[in-house]
Amino acid sequence: MSSIDLFFQQILNGLTLGSVYGLVALGLTLVYGILHVPNFSHGALYMVGAFVAFFLIVDLGINYWVAMIGAAAVVAILGVLSERLVFTPLRHAPPIHDKIAAIGVLLFLEAVIMAIWGAEFRRMPAPYTEMLSIGNVAAPAQRWLIIAGALLLMAALHLFLKKTIAGSTISALAQNREGASLVGIDASRVAMLTFAISGALAAVAAVLFAPINLVYPAMGHLVIMKAFVIIILGGMGSVPGAILGGMIIGFAESFGAFYISTDYKDIIAFVLLVVILSFRPNGLFTQGER
Amino acid sequence: MLQLENLSVRYGSFRALNDVSLHADEGELVVLLGANGAGKSSIFLTVSGLNKPAGGAIRLKGKEIGGMKPSKIVRSGVVHCPEGRKLFPKMSVMKNLTLGAYVYSRDQVGVRRSLEEVFELFPILRDKRYEAAGSLSGGQQQMVAIGRALMGRPKILLLDEPSLGLAPLVVKQVLDVVKKINENGTTVLLAEQNAFAALKIAHRAYVIEGGRIVMEGESDTLLHDENVRKAYIGA
Repeated sequence: MSSIDLFFQQILNGLTLGSVYGLVALGLTLVYGILHVPNFSHGALYMVGAFVAFFLIVDLGINYWVAMIGAAAVVAILGVLSERLVFTPLRHAPPIHDKIAAIGVLLFLEAVIMAIWGAEFRRMPAPYTEMLSIGNVAAPAQRWLIIAGALLLMAALHLFLKKTIAGSTISALAQNREGASLVGIDASRVAMLTFAISGALAAVAAVLFAPINLVYPAMGHLVIMKAFVIIILGGMGSVPGAILGGMIIGFAESFGAFYISTDYKDIIAFVLLVVILSFRPNGLFTQGER
Repeated sequence: MLQLENLSVRYGSFRALNDVSLHADEGELVVLLGANGAGKSSIFLTVSGLNKPAGGAIRLKGKEIGGMKPSKIVRSGVVHCPEGRKLFPKMSVMKNLTLGAYVYSRDQVGVRRSLEEVFELFPILRDKRYEAAGSLSGGQQQMVAIGRALMGRPKILLLDEPSLGLAPLVVKQVLDVVKKINENGTTVLLAEQNAFAALKIAHRAYVIEGGRIVMEGESDTLLHDENVRKAYIGA
C-alpha cells in the first residue's frame, strides 16, 4: 500500500469515527438546549441502544435494520421517560441537581443492563461483511454504512430543524423558553420531542458502530466523554458545531493513532480540548454574543 | 373583554399581587402605571399563564382562564409581549414572526396575511427580514416583539414596558404604533413607566403600588391628579 493510500485510509477512519461521535454529540447538544446542563446519561442511552439491538439481532434473529429502528424507539422512549420522571420535576431546582440526577440515570441504566446481560464483552454480527472499495480505498462495508448513514441522518436532522415548524420549536425553546411559551409553544411537548430525537440518534450511532466494535455496559463512557469534548469545542447547543466538532475529533484520532501511536488515540481528543480552549475559551464556533 | 378579580400571586412567601381587580373592555387601551417591582409584570405573567395565580379569577369574555397552560391561553386570544422582548435571537426576523403565529401554523394563508400587516406597521422589518433578530437595534427588536405578538392574532394584547431602554424618539414611534394597533380594534393592556406619554394615548389607567391597585380612573383625570403627577410624571 502506498503512503497516499494509507492517507486516504486514515481519512476514511476519521470519517467513520467522526460520524459516530457527531451523532452522539448532536443528541447531547439538542438536549443541552432544553436542560442547559450536559446530560451525563446520554452515554448510557447510547449503550442501551447497542444492547437492545444486540438482543433483537442475536437472541430474536431480527434483521439488522429493523433492530436499529427497534433500538431507536426503545431508547427514544427511555429518553422521554427520563425527561418526564427525572428532569421535569427538577425544572426549578439549581442546575447542579440536574447534573446529579443525570449521573443517577446513567448509573441506573448501567446497573439494569448489567443485571440483565452481565458485564462481559459481546460482539454484534455485521450485517454486511464484504469489503467495498471506492477508488483505491478499500474498507469493510460497515464503515461505508456508518459514514453514509450518519451523513444522511445529519442532513435529515438539519432539514427538520431548519425547515419544519416542529423543528423550529426545538430551537425556539433553546433560544428563549419564556418567549417560546408566550407564542403558544407547549414547552413540555417540545422537551419530550427533543429527548426522543436525542435518544434515537444515540441508539442509531451505537447500532451503526457496534459491529466494528464491542458491546459492553461501559461502552458509552469514552464516547460520551468525547461527545462532551465535541460540544465544548463546537459551542454548547450548536448543531453545526456538533457535526464539525465530531469530524475534528474523529480525524484527530485516526491520524494521531496512525502517525503518532495507537496507544495515545483516546488522549488526543482531550489534548485537543485543552489546546483549543486555551485559545478559544467559548469554543470554536460560538460567535461573540453572551 | 378581560377581567381580573381579586387576583393574588405569591413567589414563595412573598406576595407579589394582593387582591388585584381590574378590567379592560373591548376596544379599550388601558395603561398600568407603577414603579419597578410594583407588580405590573406579575399581572401580565399570570394572565398569560407563566405564573400560577394563588387566588382570584382571570376571565376572558366571561370565561375563566386563570391557571391554564400558556399555549391554551394564547389560543384563546390573549397574547403577551413581554418585558425584555424574549425574542429568538439567532433566528431571522421572519422566523421570529412566523413562530408568533405558531398556534395558527395550519393556516398558512392567514399567517402570510398577518405577516403583511406587520410589515405594513413596521416597514423597516421587511428590509431586515432575513437578519438575525439579535443583531437588530433595541427599537427594531421591540418592533419584532410587538410584531410577533400581533402574529398570534390577539383579541387582547398585553404589552409590558415596550419603551424600556429605548431612545426618546423611538419611544414615541413605538407608542404611536401601540395607539394604531388599538385603533385597529385590538384591546390593549399596556404597562409603562413613561406615564405621561402612556396616559396621552390611553383611555383609562390603573396605578399599582406594592402589588395593589391604589388608584384608577380616566386618563385625563390621572394626568391632572396631583399625586400621580408628583410620583410618575415629575411635574
